[in-house]
Amino acid sequence: MRAVALLLRKDVLVLRRSPLLLGLLVAYPLVVAALVALVASYANARPRVALVDEDGLPAELVVGEERFDVEATIDRVAREVTLVRLDRAEAEQQLGSGRAVAMLVVPRGFVADLRSMVRSPELELRTTRGALSVRVTQQVQALVYELNRQLQDAYIDANIEYTRLLVEGGTAAFLGREVEVLGLDRARALLDELPPGPRLDRLREFVRTARAALGETDEALRATANPIELREQPAVGRSWVLSAQAQAYAATLTIAFVALLLAAAALAAERDEGALARLRRGLVGPGELVAAKVALAALAALVLGTGLVAAFGLAIELGDVEGGQPWARVPLVAAGLALAGAALGALGALLGALARDARTASLVAVLAALPIVFLGLVPREIAPAAAAAADAFPFAHALRFFTSALFDTDPWGTVARETGWLALLALVYAAVARVAVRRLPA
Amino acid sequence: MSALVAARGIAKRYGARDVLRPCDFDLGAGAVVALLGPNGAGKSTLLSILAGAVPPTAGHVEREATVGWAPQRPALYGRLTPRENLELFARLGGAEATEVHALVRDLALERAEPASALSVGMRQRLNLALAFLGRPQVLLLDEPTAALDPEQRERLWTRLDDLRRGGGAVCFATQNLDEVERAQRVLRIEDGRLVP
Repeated sequence: MRAVALLLRKDVLVLRRSPLLLGLLVAYPLVVAALVALVASYANARPRVALVDEDGLPAELVVGEERFDVEATIDRVAREVTLVRLDRAEAEQQLGSGRAVAMLVVPRGFVADLRSMVRSPELELRTTRGALSVRVTQQVQALVYELNRQLQDAYIDANIEYTRLLVEGGTAAFLGREVEVLGLDRARALLDELPPGPRLDRLREFVRTARAALGETDEALRATANPIELREQPAVGRSWVLSAQAQAYAATLTIAFVALLLAAAALAAERDEGALARLRRGLVGPGELVAAKVALAALAALVLGTGLVAAFGLAIELGDVEGGQPWARVPLVAAGLALAGAALGALGALLGALARDARTASLVAVLAALPIVFLGLVPREIAPAAAAAADAFPFAHALRFFTSALFDTDPWGTVARETGWLALLALVYAAVARVAVRRLPA
Repeated sequence: MSALVAARGIAKRYGARDVLRPCDFDLGAGAVVALLGPNGAGKSTLLSILAGAVPPTAGHVEREATVGWAPQRPALYGRLTPRENLELFARLGGAEATEVHALVRDLALERAEPASALSVGMRQRLNLALAFLGRPQVLLLDEPTAALDPEQRERLWTRLDDLRRGGGAVCFATQNLDEVERAQRVLRIEDGRLVP
């Protein structure tokens, strides 16, 4: 233990005397974190959707007595996706090549069906395979829902008008023809002019009941159309940049690079400088040497990660941003930082022992860090195999630990599970690194 | 006279190449042994195995005394000052702090700059100082006078002579025939073979 502490003290001293390396170690992961944030925001960018208008949608459409601004509706959809008007052939070509992720077709007869209010008009949606198509489908479903909501008002008004016609009578257009409707009121007046009798009384009773029932139709129709209404409230909480998710990504990315690189380079440097041969002469065992590098990575992760979390907390305080508790979970996050740093450090020590010299070790650590990081960012529902592979590395577990610690109301289940994973991975990688150090030539 | 360091059947192989072929070696109290041989003959490998820095592929080494070792290429931390290097290895090896002060003074190693910024000669002095830490009874030195000025060379030989007279032992590798005269026994190594 004393040897580990002495080597750790030496490594910290060496690090302090390398300001350029220290600066790079801090700046590099932050730059990578910013790039990942950019890529993540690109993932939120609008997918390209081809709009094939085979029916020649008019700028304005009248259904019943409701007027619809078709251009405004299309513009509203275009806020969520990049809508490009194409003919069918070109749209199919772009869909096939993947340039467009979806193709929305307005078929011939769409407007006529809409105006007839008898047949439901159809829109045709075709998508490519992949995660974006799910988003596009959801957005088109939302569009159809919104259109249906507006149309149903027109349909209900038209139906109410038909009901009024049945009650009061008059002239109306139906399936393109003018029809004269007698109406229950006028029917009752005609019945009153006829001589009384039991059969006529039954007819009068029917007309009275039918009129009373149809009088209640307005509210019943409107309630049937909207059993549940969604009322939208103004947006609250943190922006994405200051979200717990972004905070977790930034902290995990930073410590992943720093811990991996530091441990790998520090271990390989022992051999580069020839000190390994001297240490091996009974001064420091392979296990102690690996433990010193793991401790160095854990310390660096703790210091850098806590600094990042504190910077986020300050930004939230100074910006008077609502939502979340930036300081309450810092002790839990700090414990996670040290543990994740140790697990990543153990993996770094293994890379350092395998690479054998500091330059190669640094390169190998960077090359290894990138796929490990990106593997850990792949959502399990999109690529289960990638997520399973990511479980073998500390990054994904650290990310889940920090996301839960910073975000969940009750994080203890996730934190306990990921703590177990990180501890297990730290032990396994450290044990393999110990064997690799033992086999390392002086 | 019992051997302070005794090696039996030691050999070293890197891949398909025999760097050191099976050999025995004894270093008794009061002995000063010179290892002579061309570059790549196996001198450094033999000394490293005797010092415990490199494990042999075959055979074993018994050490009945404390052993100090100075490799041909200084084994030290370039970002630490000479004093910091000596303090670190002294603490790791359980040597006293007063020893560090004495070595820094005797070998004129009091410098503020890190070891990597020192001259080759200064680095070699630090390399030797690290071998002297813990006052070992046996010194295994690989071309110890390389890069030392004449005054420092004389000081080194005086120190080694004192050790020999005190019942210790020295084995050094050299290519300088003048230095062979300092030894009581000369061993030649050729192509990994120890030639008495």
